[in-house]
Amino acid sequence: MILFWIFAGITLFGIIGYLFQMIAVRSYTALPSSGEGMRFPRSFPPVSILKPLKGLDDGLFDNLESFCNLDYPEYELIFALQNQNDPAYKVAQKIKGKYPSKDVTISVERCDEGLNPKVNNLIPAYRKAKYDLILISDSNVRVEKDYLSDIARHMEDPSVGLVSNMIRGISGRSVGAVLENLHLNSFIVGSVCFLDKYLRMPCVIGKSMLMRKGDLEAIGGFGAVKDLLAEDYIIGERIHGLGKKVILSGHLINNVNEYWGVKRFINRHTRWGKLRWQIGGAKYFSELAGNAVFMSFMPMVIMPISKASLLLAATASSLKIVHDFHIGRKLRSDMNPFLYLLSPIKDLIIGFVWFVPILSKTVAWRGNRYIIGKDSVLSPMPEAGMWSFRHRVIGAIWARLA
Amino acid sequence: MLLCDFHIHTTYSDGSVELKRTIDLFGQAGFDVIAITDHVVNGDNPLGKLAHRFNFSVTAANFSQYISHIKEEAERARNKYDMLVIPGIEITKNHLTSDNSAHMLIIDVRDFIPACISYEEIFLEAKKQNALTIACHPHYMSAKTDRDTLFLWNNRDKYARFIDAWEIANRDDVFNVISLKKYPYIANSDFHKPRHLYSWKTLLNCAKDIDSIKQCIRHNKGVAMTLFRN
Repeated sequence: MILFWIFAGITLFGIIGYLFQMIAVRSYTALPSSGEGMRFPRSFPPVSILKPLKGLDDGLFDNLESFCNLDYPEYELIFALQNQNDPAYKVAQKIKGKYPSKDVTISVERCDEGLNPKVNNLIPAYRKAKYDLILISDSNVRVEKDYLSDIARHMEDPSVGLVSNMIRGISGRSVGAVLENLHLNSFIVGSVCFLDKYLRMPCVIGKSMLMRKGDLEAIGGFGAVKDLLAEDYIIGERIHGLGKKVILSGHLINNVNEYWGVKRFINRHTRWGKLRWQIGGAKYFSELAGNAVFMSFMPMVIMPISKASLLLAATASSLKIVHDFHIGRKLRSDMNPFLYLLSPIKDLIIGFVWFVPILSKTVAWRGNRYIIGKDSVLSPMPEAGMWSFRHRVIGAIWARLA
Repeated sequence: MLLCDFHIHTTYSDGSVELKRTIDLFGQAGFDVIAITDHVVNGDNPLGKLAHRFNFSVTAANFSQYISHIKEEAERARNKYDMLVIPGIEITKNHLTSDNSAHMLIIDVRDFIPACISYEEIFLEAKKQNALTIACHPHYMSAKTDRDTLFLWNNRDKYARFIDAWEIANRDDVFNVISLKKYPYIANSDFHKPRHLYSWKTLLNCAKDIDSIKQCIRHNKGVAMTLFRN
């Protein structure tokens, strides 16, 4: 019975955490959008938008096109690829052809300076960027017309070093994509807002990062993060270390996840979990404790099922559904309300995924496999030895199963 | 080179994605030319009757709606993605044995062609409409769930002259016999689900209009195949 009350207590801790997340998200979604309540006079400094492309993201054409329709007087778009055989190259060409009057550059340049493939894409694009303000934007992001004007106004304050955005998962049509969007629209957005509001910790997600070249160069440029997996978080942390403000804009950007498989959902959050474990260390344990649904199911796993344990799991699951639904409403999510019923299942999966980073240090990303170390420093997978043997065995098992 | 896929199913037959979303999927991925080719199933045996019962077939009754819907979407695709969408059907002659079964694409179809008429009549009707005829997955396939359709290959001496091209690759399968026989070829996805987007495709070196494309396939010059992967 003591065990039951311990898990019930941890569950309660998680539920209180949900409440704080809800309040934090509400405070950011209530921030004034462009046109209202601005603290600084408006000006529109020119911006270079760097888009690292690799492979086909869901809705890639629309994602890229949304950046050609921005309500902003002067900006350039640089689509950065490593080679012309990338299927995204054709989409980038089509966008360039459709908007001949826009300042669009397709940069195809192989760069092997670092181990982070996204940074390798960005290094040549950065050299081509004409303007002092640079915006790094992922290819799976779709934005509204007022996005750039809304975030650029923050840069009128010289003490602001970086502006990132809240992200909202949209367009889920497969089970994996729905789970992904549920997680983005609850845990991820909730945690980012929670850390920024209550702990004043900049938690930058690389989907959208607006900064000055001067500040980036002051922290060593892309070269300083070329071997880090969490280059976005570290850039934010280092700019913050320069004494500059890192702003979380309340302007929501859409992360399009349409036809994901469950495996891809698990892979992504295993990778992100490994990042948080390597960067946060012991703080990572708060994530498990904060997963009220997972904790509420634990008494049923380790003890005989009782009415009390069933009630605990049912209550935590119901509250989590309400929590996710509420945040979804605040984010103006496009998700079918009935799909929020999947929230507890998603949290159970995430609960199991939580353990993987503690057991494994390897990450597979964009077709590459690395070993991840402290502060998300990447090192190449050894060709021989125990790591290699382990992956050959796992690879053989997967191949046989397939 | 034009990136093309000439074998795509929608919810008009047994595809899992509706027409508009299918066109968006290919448009978002940068395709230049696609053909929508839902099944027209023979209704003269129990297998065919079952397909008709579960609406896995375009029929004479809904054919005009099917074509006009494709044309409407084709216009949207042209404006939005600069992608050419061609109406087509897949004549589906399913029988109990693989040796008697055959599937063939009729690309740029205008009028309904029933699947229960003879092969000669089908080829004649396709020719009358100046449509392309393509023999689909003509040899043994790897997927255990798919039924092989070997009739056209087994009777190639009789029918090859009526067939404009053969599928040398279908989704994940490659049929080397087409290459050995030096038949005109194209490669397609046989798209039924979003994951089938990543499969064998055709590259054509010609202008992006229907006549040039048909000529390119018939003459089989400037045709290549590519494995489209993400």
